[in-house]
Amino acid sequence: MRWLAAFVALSGAAFLMGDYHNDVYRKMLLWITLALSYNFLFGICGQVAFSHFAFYGIGAYSVVILLFQLHVPLPVAIVLGVAVCVLVALAVAIPATRLEGFYLALATLALAQLFVVVLNEGGAVTGGTGGIANYRLPAVFGFQVKGAWYTGVIVALLLGTYALLRRLDHSWFGRACRAVRDNPEAAAAMGVDVARTKVVAFALTSALAGMAGMVYAFVDNTVNPPIFGLENAFLLLFMVIVGGAGRHAGAVIGAALLFLLPFFLSPLVGHHHVLVFGVLVVAAILLKPKGLIGFYDAIRRS
Amino acid sequence: MPSVVLEVRNLSKRFGGLTAVSGLDFDVREGEILGVIGPNGAGKSTTFNIIAGAYPASGGDVRFAGESILGLPPHKIAARGVMRTFQHNRPFAGMSVADNVLVGAHTRFGFNVFGKKSLLDEKANRARAEELMEFVGLGELRQADVATLSFGQGRLLEIARGLAGEPRLMLFDEPAAGLTPAELTRVSGVIRGIAERGIAVLLIEHDMHFLLPLAHRVVVLNFGAKIADGLPEEVRSNPAVTDAYLGSHAAAR
Repeated sequence: MRWLAAFVALSGAAFLMGDYHNDVYRKMLLWITLALSYNFLFGICGQVAFSHFAFYGIGAYSVVILLFQLHVPLPVAIVLGVAVCVLVALAVAIPATRLEGFYLALATLALAQLFVVVLNEGGAVTGGTGGIANYRLPAVFGFQVKGAWYTGVIVALLLGTYALLRRLDHSWFGRACRAVRDNPEAAAAMGVDVARTKVVAFALTSALAGMAGMVYAFVDNTVNPPIFGLENAFLLLFMVIVGGAGRHAGAVIGAALLFLLPFFLSPLVGHHHVLVFGVLVVAAILLKPKGLIGFYDAIRRS
Repeated sequence: MPSVVLEVRNLSKRFGGLTAVSGLDFDVREGEILGVIGPNGAGKSTTFNIIAGAYPASGGDVRFAGESILGLPPHKIAARGVMRTFQHNRPFAGMSVADNVLVGAHTRFGFNVFGKKSLLDEKANRARAEELMEFVGLGELRQADVATLSFGQGRLLEIARGLAGEPRLMLFDEPAAGLTPAELTRVSGVIRGIAERGIAVLLIEHDMHFLLPLAHRVVVLNFGAKIADGLPEEVRSNPAVTDAYLGSHAAAR
């Protein structure tokens, strides 16, 4: 019931906005969705990966290529798109987690870079540097979902992602992820298969990022390489750190804040808002390692 | 006589040219507290780590409930019913005391995390975690952040976390290390309570004052080999043991 109310409120808001504000709003919702799944990977499972935004791109490109180059029906394209994300995630995570420590970071950084190169060099399949544009979401049961109605799809994605991650977090799987993050040797002694837990968390959150990417593909009805570069991969990391790694609410606050901040900062400092982000992140790490949500907890306790 | 839970047979471990453990044999039975003692470098920790799956052995066998567990990774050994504590407490620092204990129950959950069955699993394991926190004396601290625990409370948490896996064998790696006299009394009481539940207990320890009144039987190691095996009072008066601990000069006097 509460979920339904949240769905109605969050999607209904889109109908009260103009086109411009609706566009900003739905992109914020997508960032929040991505930050939630990245928080599970980085904040809860402790895996430093830079590939999350690349999986967002893999999902977006997969669904567009499957639908409009290969002419696959929509439901099949969605299933295949998720399968592509899971397979790529397994191909990266299985060798990387066998190694210690920061090799996952290196492997995922390489993947993120490679992905952009593939997009640029992909010729007719990926549309090269210009990407793919001018397509439309196929009609579902004869309905063309567009405009403020499409925001409802994004809200459903956001709530579905949150419900799934929350359920996992409160289960043995979430505790195993936190245990692996805090002390892998002790986790193994308690019966946790450390390598498998890491691989499953990585593949699962990467698939969630891919699904968000599929939804993103029909927001602007264009996909192109620059969006999926490393800059946004780091922005995602900053969102989770500033909001408070390991907490769902932290991911939501961090994503909303860092996404909206440039809109308020740009009139004041132009493109130097990146500098403000840098200062924010360093301040968060040094002064409030638990992020804004930790700050909120401290205020509420006192 | 209670049945044998752990059998260590002809166990050997060499690190390069150094023989850390050689030809070691001993058993642990249900409800029995077996202490393994010896001076520094006697091979206690090596033996412990081989049983827990942290090191491979060079020879011999370790059998738990009739099956060899030698060479299994630590998480599979835990899943069989062998749980352990660490000498230097290793809590999951970002979680509450209750969640730490629930990680110990990891292998007691069904695979599915959705639906009614998973909620019942969660409820049953939470209730058991509560009971275990009461048992070790952390009942008041169940929602506390583990960072706020004292070292002794951290040791009790290690014990509750291990018990949550419903072990048939509990391994203690120097449980007395770093504890105050009051905490030692408490930990001794808890370990006795564990054995009374029918769980086999294997302790490695070099604090004889802690171990001898607690253990039902004691195995003494020196230079990787067993030099004595018997009741605590027999071991205490065994000349080979005093010799190993204090040197032959002291034994001769």
